[in-house]
Amino acid sequence: MSSTVRATLTKVCEFLLTTLLVSFFTFAAFSIIPGDPARIMLGTEASEEQVEQLRVELGLNEPLAERYVKWLDNAFRGDFGTSLSFNTSVGDLISSRLPVTLGMSLIALIIVLLVSFPMAAICSKRPGKPLDKALSCAGHILFAIPPFALSMMLILFSANVLGIFTAGRYTAPSVNFGSYLSSLLLPSFCIALPKIAMTFKFLRASMIEYSQGDFVRTAKSHGLTDLRIMMKHIIPNSMVSSVTVISLVLSDIMGGSLIVEQVFNLPGLGRLLLTSIARRDFPLLSGIVFYLALITVILYFLADLISALIDPRIRDRRNV
Amino acid sequence: MKYKGNILEVNNLTLSLLDKNGVPVTILNDLTFHLRSGEILGLIGDSGSGKTMTALAISGLLNDFAHIDSGEILFEEEDLVKKAPRERRRLLGEKIGVIFQDPSSALDPLQTVESNLQEVLSIRNCSKEESRERILRMLATVGFEDPEDIAKRYPHRLSGGQRQRVLIAGAALMNPTLLIADEPTSSLDTVTSMSIMHLLHEMSHEMGISILFISHNLSAVRNFCDRVMVMKEGTIIDSDTSWDIMGQPKSAFTADLLMKSRLDPKTLGISRGKTNPDGPVVLEATRLTSSYRYKDVRRNKTNAVIKNINFKIHEGELVGLIGSSGCGKTTLVKTILGLLKPSSGEVSHEGRIAAVFQDPVSSLNPAHTVRWHLREALKASGRVISKEEQTAYFISILEDVGLTGKHLYRFPHQMSGGQRQKAAIAMCLVQEPSFIIADEPFSALDASSQASIIKLLSDINKERGTTMLIVSHNLQVIRAMCSNVLVMDKGSIVEAGFTDDVLENPSAEATKALIEAGEYGG
Repeated sequence: MSSTVRATLTKVCEFLLTTLLVSFFTFAAFSIIPGDPARIMLGTEASEEQVEQLRVELGLNEPLAERYVKWLDNAFRGDFGTSLSFNTSVGDLISSRLPVTLGMSLIALIIVLLVSFPMAAICSKRPGKPLDKALSCAGHILFAIPPFALSMMLILFSANVLGIFTAGRYTAPSVNFGSYLSSLLLPSFCIALPKIAMTFKFLRASMIEYSQGDFVRTAKSHGLTDLRIMMKHIIPNSMVSSVTVISLVLSDIMGGSLIVEQVFNLPGLGRLLLTSIARRDFPLLSGIVFYLALITVILYFLADLISALIDPRIRDRRNV
Repeated sequence: MKYKGNILEVNNLTLSLLDKNGVPVTILNDLTFHLRSGEILGLIGDSGSGKTMTALAISGLLNDFAHIDSGEILFEEEDLVKKAPRERRRLLGEKIGVIFQDPSSALDPLQTVESNLQEVLSIRNCSKEESRERILRMLATVGFEDPEDIAKRYPHRLSGGQRQRVLIAGAALMNPTLLIADEPTSSLDTVTSMSIMHLLHEMSHEMGISILFISHNLSAVRNFCDRVMVMKEGTIIDSDTSWDIMGQPKSAFTADLLMKSRLDPKTLGISRGKTNPDGPVVLEATRLTSSYRYKDVRRNKTNAVIKNINFKIHEGELVGLIGSSGCGKTTLVKTILGLLKPSSGEVSHEGRIAAVFQDPVSSLNPAHTVRWHLREALKASGRVISKEEQTAYFISILEDVGLTGKHLYRFPHQMSGGQRQKAAIAMCLVQEPSFIIADEPFSALDASSQASIIKLLSDINKERGTTMLIVSHNLQVIRAMCSNVLVMDKGSIVEAGFTDDVLENPSAEATKALIEAGEYGG
């Protein structure tokens, strides 16, 4: 068996193991927290019999391990149970809300990358010069504004002044993909802005470091123009160190969508999560938390794969 | 058509560099020299004399802190100082090639050798097939036996010497009229550096390339350069044909530099360590094998870097370990120190081992003072010294290594290379080791610092009786200070014994090659 295949398989096994652990901890967390879910759901007015009946219905009387295996078995088939407050399958609920959050996160990521890479490249060219200072300062300000404040300012500005956006209007991608995208654009922008600042700061530092590096000097001595050196050497090298940061940013973006969905009144996972907490809807809550955790694990897995793809040294190290 | 006459004329060049507070400091002072077409001109001087700044000024690679105040640099009779940055960059790709001192990070780690070299040809509108063919031919020219394999490799899978060859191939691919070589061999071992110099010499003659060869080692350029200039504090103080300058240096400074670079044991005041074949064994390696596994697209192989190593070192001995680069010296050191797990065999040692490494810049933590480093070393050794006595103790150790109490509160960046290496040695002494391993402890330093570190290590061996293993590619040093010698080649110890026996009557081919290279360059 070739060592590349073996290394990839190891990585996949690690990924599966992490997912399993995540699922267990999600499940255990909701079982261990104090309070009887059945009692909380039914309220203090309900009689003991009613609570007991619900406990049986939810399978709360069985031992934790048994319940976990059952839950896992169901989850494996995509069945996370039935939401108590919506009375529909948790899986259906999540999959109807996922396009909003995922779409928004992806658009936000694209905006982050499209803006921060050129910005960092420009600043790293002449660090400490007025343009660098101005852009860095703008980055700090963006970083400091809380997303909800930014969202509200943007809504007011775009709806009232520009008149191009109606807050709270959402079209499903299956209905009209164009208006789906346009309804997500502004919220994505709100999530992206603070993250641009973060990614930019990191990229700028690593690009400055690389642009003073020895291999850049070699490339200059080979007569390459600054633009080609940037594209061929500096950007790919700073990609290696930024892949991890970008995956962190992306999982942060997913988390950040919670508030923005609320402000923009979008039917995403974040809002569903808030609802499930408010209504003590445990099957739904554990389903969403598991999904979010799974997405994060997938992101880190992808980040690892991508950095190995870019950097031959990581590929070699992995096989040692 | 190559240019006739003076290919390069530097006239009254004055250059200043902004220091930390933004105050300009003059680095090059009224520098004037010329380079004839097809000539190899050596530029020699201690570190900080302005050699590298000269190279950077000519090549147009100065950073933002440097400023040319006055003077002109005429390349083929055109003043480079007056040219626009874009034009200068184009000139770099077409007519002026540069190779630098440290090849370790001079290639883009994310790209194969071929891709790294391809950029030279890409600005010349070469077709893919043509450029591939030219790259392979050039790799063969610079001495690679299997160019196809090298072209596919990534830089981290090449040794220092191989990387420098690739960089030379890059410079030669553009077929320049002028090649600026800034200490191209000083981070390489003697055998490799000799072959690199041979290569440059050949290229100069066959392709008619003029070379400005910068080095801090006078004797190394003796057989290589047509003319030599000695530089001190930004001006040329001595200039002659290389033979005359070596034979009868005109200035006292040149004579001193020459003496230091020869590392003569008498002038250094060192004598050879004592052999102790009947004493207790301090370090013993038995059938030691260490290997790296790495991925290869075609063959999935494990590479044994050191194979079946056996040796004993007795108490108080000063043992030299020599061998060309890539022979496994550093792997052996790492295995002895326990940084690498041997794949088979074992190392046993008595007492504590301490280590000094080649590069004092990266082996000290830039965020902490010397005092912190000494305390860490003390903690690691498990010795306990009360807080009150620590300072006095540390100062006494620093004085032992030739530093003073004021260095206790210095950060690594506030000291010179030699001082940093002394601090690293002080860290060893604090641990009261029975055994010190020094892996190329001089090679990153300039001639004067080298001399002081050699003397220091030799004194520690004599006065404290500390057993030592010194890895070096400098045969003169080993000859002068070591009692015993181990010679490594291709991962095995090919010869071992008393210094005289090994170096006067070498039996292994590898030893003979090292001795020959030492006589040529040194």
